[in-house]
Order: sequence, then C-alpha cells, then structure tokens
Amino acid sequence: MSNIIEKLKFLIVDDYADMRSVLQNMLLSFGVQNIDMASNGKDAINAIERQRYDVILCDYNLGEGRDGQQVLEEIRHRKLIGVGTIFLMVTAENTRVMVMGAVEYEPDSYLTKPFTKDLLGQRLTKLLTMKADLIEIEQAIANRDHDLANQLIDDKLKKKKSKNHKILLRLKAELALQDRYYDEAISIYKGVLENREIAWARLGLGKAMYFKENYADAKELFAELISENERFMSAYDWLAKTQQMLDEFKEAQSVLQKGAILSAKAIPRQEALAELALKNGDDKTAEKALLQAVSLGKHSIYKHPSMFSNIARIKAKNGQQAEAERFVRDINKSFKDNPEAELYTAISNSMILEDEEAAYKNMKIASKLFDKLGSSTSAQIAVDMAKAYSHAGDEEKAKQVLHQAASNNHTDAEVLKGISDTLGQLQLEEDPQAIISEIRKKVIKLNNEGAKLARDGQLKEATQLFEDAAEGMPANIVVNLNAARTFLMYMEQTGVTKDLSVKLEKYLRRAQNIEPDNRTLLSLKKRSTKLLESNS
Amino acid sequence: MLFYDVLASIIHDMKNSLGMVINRLDEVVAEMPSDANDSAKITSIQQEAKRLNNNLIELLTLYRMENERIAPVIDEVDVMSFLQESMAENQSAANATGIDIGCNCSDDLIGYFDEGLVHGIINNLIGNALRYTQSKIELSASEQDGYLVISVEDDGSGFPEQMLKAQEAEINSNGIADGRTLLGIHFANLVTKMHKNKDKTGYIQLSNNGKLKGGCFSIYLP
Repeated sequence: MSNIIEKLKFLIVDDYADMRSVLQNMLLSFGVQNIDMASNGKDAINAIERQRYDVILCDYNLGEGRDGQQVLEEIRHRKLIGVGTIFLMVTAENTRVMVMGAVEYEPDSYLTKPFTKDLLGQRLTKLLTMKADLIEIEQAIANRDHDLANQLIDDKLKKKKSKNHKILLRLKAELALQDRYYDEAISIYKGVLENREIAWARLGLGKAMYFKENYADAKELFAELISENERFMSAYDWLAKTQQMLDEFKEAQSVLQKGAILSAKAIPRQEALAELALKNGDDKTAEKALLQAVSLGKHSIYKHPSMFSNIARIKAKNGQQAEAERFVRDINKSFKDNPEAELYTAISNSMILEDEEAAYKNMKIASKLFDKLGSSTSAQIAVDMAKAYSHAGDEEKAKQVLHQAASNNHTDAEVLKGISDTLGQLQLEEDPQAIISEIRKKVIKLNNEGAKLARDGQLKEATQLFEDAAEGMPANIVVNLNAARTFLMYMEQTGVTKDLSVKLEKYLRRAQNIEPDNRTLLSLKKRSTKLLESNS
Repeated sequence: MLFYDVLASIIHDMKNSLGMVINRLDEVVAEMPSDANDSAKITSIQQEAKRLNNNLIELLTLYRMENERIAPVIDEVDVMSFLQESMAENQSAANATGIDIGCNCSDDLIGYFDEGLVHGIINNLIGNALRYTQSKIELSASEQDGYLVISVEDDGSGFPEQMLKAQEAEINSNGIADGRTLLGIHFANLVTKMHKNKDKTGYIQLSNNGKLKGGCFSIYLP
C-alpha cells in the first residue's frame, strides 16, 4: 500500500499548527515526501492554484475566513482540482448528514478526529482503489460526455457485483436527472428503495418528481425525509422549493427558518429564506437572513450583488438611509470589475436615493446596462430590473422585462413561477399565470415550427425563423441552440460560407454564455469544429 | 447556555486534547527502537487515552441522541474495509501487547448502516477486548436471516454474569460491573435499535464460550 501512497503529492490544511505537524508526521511515516501545508483557506487556495495535488487533507474548521467546505466549493467550482484529486475532509464529529445531498460539492470522504495513522493509511488505500475504479466515469462526466459515462457505468454494472454498485446507480440516476430523463431516474431510485430505505434515493426521487412538476408527491417525499431525520438539510431546501411552486409561501418560509436554525451556515438557504420572507412581507426575517448571507459569503462562491441590493432596499424602507447607502457602496467594493455589480449599484440607487433626480439618473444607467447584458441576462437580474422599473412608475417597461425573461426561460418551471409571482406582486397583470403559460406555449410552438422546417429540408427558412426568434430571446438556451443547429445543418448541406459561419459561432457563443455545460451545445460544438476544419 | 450544552462543549474540547495525546504518543513509539522497554508502557498509556476518548465519544453521542434527536444515516457500507479500518485503528496497541487481531469476513459483503455510529461501537468493543483478552481478538461479519451480524470475540475469561443480564434490561443506576461500565452496552443497544429496516429492528447479543472460548459481543443490524 505505502508504495503507492508515498509517491503522492499532499496538501495539509489546518489552522492548528500541532495538528498540521501530527498529520505531516503520519504522512512522513508512510514515506511521503511531497507535503505542502496551509494554515487557512486562502493559503490553501493559493497553493492549489499553483500546483496539482493528489490528496488534500483539509480540516473543516479553519478559524477565521473560509471553512473547509467553502474551500472545497471554491476549488471545485473554479475547476482548480480535477477528478483525480482526493479531497478528505477532517471533522471534529460526524457532520456528514448536514451536507448530504449537496452532491456537487461533497468531499470524497470524511475523517473524524482523532484517527491514527493506520486508519488514515487504510482510508487512503480504499479511496485510491475506488478512484481507480471510477476515474474514467468521473472524467467523462467532467467532460460532459454523458453518453460515454452512461456506457461505462452500464459496463461496470453488468459485471459481477461491484463494490461500487450503489455508487454507480446513484451516478446513473444523477446523470438521468441532469439530462431530464426523469422517468429513468425515477425507476433507478425506486429500484433502490424497494430493497431498503436509503436517504439519497428518496431525495433523488423527490427531485425527479419536482422536475416532472408533480409537486404534491415531491412534497410528501421531502417531508418524510425530514420526519425521519431532522438533520437532513437538503430535504428542507427542496421541501421549501416545492411548497413555493404550490403557492404555500408562509409554510415554505417556516420550513427554511427551521432549517436555518439547525444549520445557519449555508448561504443559498439564507438567500432563499430572505427571498421568501420578502414575498411574505416579513422584512425583518429577510434582513436578518441577508445580513447572515453577506457575512458568511465574504469568501464564498455564492456571494451575489443582489444580496447587498436587497439589504439596502430594506434599510431605506425602514428609514436607515445612511446604512442603505453604505450597503450600495459595498457592492462595488465587494465585486470588482463585475458588470452585474455595476447594474445592481444603479438599480439599488434608483430605488433608495431620496434625491429624485439622482434616482432617475441611476434608473437610466441601470436601463442601459441591463440592455447591454443580452444573452447574459439571468432571470434573477430581470426580476430585479422589473422591480426597479415598477418602483420608478414605468409599469410598461417592468412588464416587458418580465415577459422577455419568461420567453428566455420557457423550459424552466421554477423561473417561470418566480416571474409570474413577481408580475402578481407588482400588480402588473390580472392573471399572471395565464400570461406566462401563453408565453411558454408561444415559444414552444415557434421552436416546433422551426424544427419542422428543418426536418422538411427547408433549412434556409428554418435559419431565418430561428434568427428572428433568437433576436427576441437572446438568453433562451433552446432557441439559440436551435439557431446554431440549423445554421450548421444548412452549411453541411450547401457548403461553408464566411457569413453563415459567423452566425453559427454567434449562437454557439450565446449558448455557451447561458449554459456552458449544456450537452447539446457540446455536441454541436464538436460537429461545428469538424465541419469548419474539413473546409479549411 | 444550559449546563448540558456546556458539558457537551467541554467534552468536545477534552476529546481534541486526547486526540493530540494519542497522536503524539504514536509518534513517540515510532521513534523508539523496537526493543525499547518503555514502548509497552507508552502503548498502554495510549490505550487508556483511547478508552477515555471512546467513552467521551459515547457520551457526546448519547447527549446528541437525547437533545438533538440525531437519526442514523443509513448507507451502503463495504463491510470488509469497514472492519479493516477498525482493526487499523487498534493495530499498534495490539502489536505492543502481543495480541493478535484477526478478521473473518467475506470480501464482497455489503452492509447498510450508519458508519460513524457503528464505528463508535466496534471501536469501543475492540478497546474492551484488548483489555480482557488473553492473546487473540477476532472480528467477524456475516449475513444471517436478513441481519448483518458483526461480532467481536476474544479468548479472555468472558463477560461477567451482570453484563450478560444487562443486555436484556435497560441500564440501571447501580449497574457498574467490575470495571466494565455498562455505558458501552447501553450505547451499543441504543445505536443498534435505531437501525430499522421494514419490520426488523437491530439488537445486541452478548455470550460466553464462543469459538475463542472468551466473550463474544455481537450486533445485529437489519
């Protein structure tokens, strides 16, 4: 065992010097020579930026600044570590359940203190064996090549009972969820649950039901999970999400409040709670949650200018003008060279400044910055922009922005619900749900028409249709992908021209901007590279 | 802060200190020549520290069960590597006292239980066995009638009558038996009972005169 371990490159992250030296001595006793050490999250990230480690041994508790989970989130989010790196979280006690379900950023394993060097060696050997078994699959997933990943998983599942059998099933179900094959995901989860109660399978089943817009069943599943284990934090988050879709805003808020008491450190939870509280007119809870999110978020990938903006608005509403203005100034301080931050500064100023002329000026700046975003317009920004327009009394503009956001996101039920709720809240529509569902239908119809044209070989007409559609919906992933696809097909048939390939690249770039990891995008990109190469 | 919360956080702190003691002693042993006389002494100090640590973990977990209503997180566990980790944790102590720890488990056995909680039980059982055995400890695991059975057996003189009785009854206030506290039984009992599947519930079983002629402590997980 040691001869594999001794060749690996290790990073030890612990704020406690004694613990660092204990860990270092354990590794030295295995013959490891390549050991770096960091005493806080910032140094750890700096070290990881500089070089690749095989194993990162990181304590959860790192004193001031980032904690171990935030280090993990940042390095995974920024893709600073690849699938080959093992991340071992060292905890004072079993904290696993608290983060369970946040699969995207789970460490490879947890080690509970204290442990002996023999145990560490044993665990490392086990993880290395497991990594070796799964690395091809993890690599395929990291490359977004889900077809290959699924094929590799199936091959392994067919062989004799693998030790990683359940892990493979779990991965397969997660891929199905991501690729919107909900029925496949459901059948995997149900198969697992038939034999016994497993929390991740029930959570996954609930998610699949949620995405299928079967909210009643989803709600029941998430509620069951909480009643079985009240520390299962992601069940709270999903239950509240589901309740929002069912218009049960008060109930959703109380679920998240309970969740936030049990585990106050999750920024997305605090943010979701604040959003709900704002909807429910409970400014006090919203403010508290937002302040918590901002203070936790200092070193987090989850920090967003809208948090500061919302606090400023609440403060201004309560007559704390100076405080409000301070939070707006904090936006630019906390987010340097960020176009969204500039926009949020203007939006906030337009809503909080007492000087009407200054507020109006900011509204104009915001409007200009917003229009410049194009395909980078997220639904959240659109909703906040609409609120600013509505605050300035420009209801038409507010409505227009929200309608546009709905057509940009016509496949996302959660976003559409949020937009519809905002339309209602700002009293912009009598029947927001009807308007939204009409917009949704219109976009679907348009896409179908274009697809039919393409199928029928009328590719020129199809490109025109999608070009027009994409002008109106610059941030709609489906429309932009369809536009790219038809231009590609058109060129595959009639030959490559400069004009057409410029357009193809424009839509690919937009899609890249909206959803960089989209699978269709990746396959279109491959196809397009092939076409353009064969032509040059 | 409530008294019990203070207690919990103090236990936590004590646990950290003990952790450091255990780890540092490991280093001291590693640096000593292998025939050094004192190494046995140090290992026995370390063994006592581990025992203390196990007890603290049990206390803390019991506290959590009552105050935070923690529930087990059931997941698939590779039993062989689970047992190997438990052995590894106690290997140096066993070596120092010349006790042989063995493991009898099929390589592809899969279990469903809360790894952290059950690890607490097994570690404690091995710790006790190290104290009372003659020369051997055997860990074993197998499937029996829908239960995963994990046993820790030794070739010592077996469990006293009082302990055998205690497995049936709830722990009572005067139940301290010959240095073996009943806390361990109570803890194992609670944790195994928290494991449920369909209509089956986990349980513990203590017996004497098993394969190794000493005590045998088994936990049954559905």
